[in-house]
Amino acid sequence: MDDGLEEELFRLVAETCRVTEPLPTGLSFDEPLIGPESTFALDSLDAVEIVVAVQRKYNVRIDAQETSRQVLQSIATLAAFIRSHRPEPG
Amino acid sequence: MRGIFPHRQSAHCESGVTANLLTHHGLPLSEAMTFGIGSGLFFAYLPFIRVNHLPLTTFRIAPGGIFNRVTKRLGIGVESRTFRSEPQGMAELDRLLAAGIAVGAQTGVFWLPYFPPALRFHFNAHNLVVFGKAGDDYRISDPVLGEPVLCPAADLERARFAKGALAPRGRIYHLARVPANIDLASPIREAIREVCRVMVRIPVPLFGVRGIRLLAGQVEKWPARLGDRKSILYLGNVIRMQEEIGTGGGGFRFIYAAFLQEAAGLLGNGQLADLSGRMTAVGDRWRDFAVAGARHCKGRPGEHDDFADLARILRDCADLEDALFRDLSKQA
Repeated sequence: MDDGLEEELFRLVAETCRVTEPLPTGLSFDEPLIGPESTFALDSLDAVEIVVAVQRKYNVRIDAQETSRQVLQSIATLAAFIRSHRPEPG
Repeated sequence: MRGIFPHRQSAHCESGVTANLLTHHGLPLSEAMTFGIGSGLFFAYLPFIRVNHLPLTTFRIAPGGIFNRVTKRLGIGVESRTFRSEPQGMAELDRLLAAGIAVGAQTGVFWLPYFPPALRFHFNAHNLVVFGKAGDDYRISDPVLGEPVLCPAADLERARFAKGALAPRGRIYHLARVPANIDLASPIREAIREVCRVMVRIPVPLFGVRGIRLLAGQVEKWPARLGDRKSILYLGNVIRMQEEIGTGGGGFRFIYAAFLQEAAGLLGNGQLADLSGRMTAVGDRWRDFAVAGARHCKGRPGEHDDFADLARILRDCADLEDALFRDLSKQA
């Protein structure tokens, strides 16, 4: 789906976690978001901030039923979760 | 039922295993309902108990407590064993599996090969269900995973007999007698009363809302007492205990809110639905603490993220929970 959500999430993550280096070009949305292989070198404390930033921006709560570890595997899985859970407009 | 098990993913291993075992025996309870009937919610700050050299903060009752309370409150018979001998422990597991019994097992996470190495840590009270065997591999329903997995016998044996704190000593358990008809209303009320008691009525400053206030006072003093590096280690540990380790976020407060919502429907009590909303709001306030604390730990604090601000958020959480559990106790 090309609604620009993945690019928007990249920017949100970078802003939330104060990623200072420029985003690499040709970055895949499937690359690990959190953990030792993360493109941005993000850890579980960053994950807490991302979960809350997503909740505030998209009114989507990542909590008991869907573990944040699963949702935060990559920008692609996060975008898919938001698309399937965000409230319908209007 | 041999070789078939109703695997569902859950936030927390013990409530997930308990819910899945109950469902396997014809009592389909959600993870939240299981957590609630087990009175899983708690808070304790125990600075004199160290885990990995850091003071213990817990948002739930002790390991094993949820399973024990749920089965007791629902009148379910349980058989549980530990073993001195590893071959004997594995042979008993095989005997139960051959009889078509799904078996709960306490294990050490570090030795379970299906977790990525980066996610393994030394915690010896991880629960899973063994529901079959294929050659030399066991069929495992680990509730924190999306699907069942296979685990080689040697690895499961090592995980069941891991050494150290909370060593499982091969502990396995299964549901032996499940009543045909179970009324949930009375166990739900009893469970709510118990959580309210431990959160607001234990006159010990370490537990419940008193414990949250104690932690707030300590957090405020950490920078002066411990210095920056150690303060950040202590703070990061509280946040991890709150937001990771299978809490479902907000230190289990969101799971408990889901329980109250379900209980409202089952008991036909709209007040419980309102209290569920308030519990979610408390979970959000805990998350405010986690986010501000995480920013501090990561060296990017905002304008209101210092230790005095963090203590203020904790006192808010304590005040909100104090009022909430007093109101909740009137509904049970």
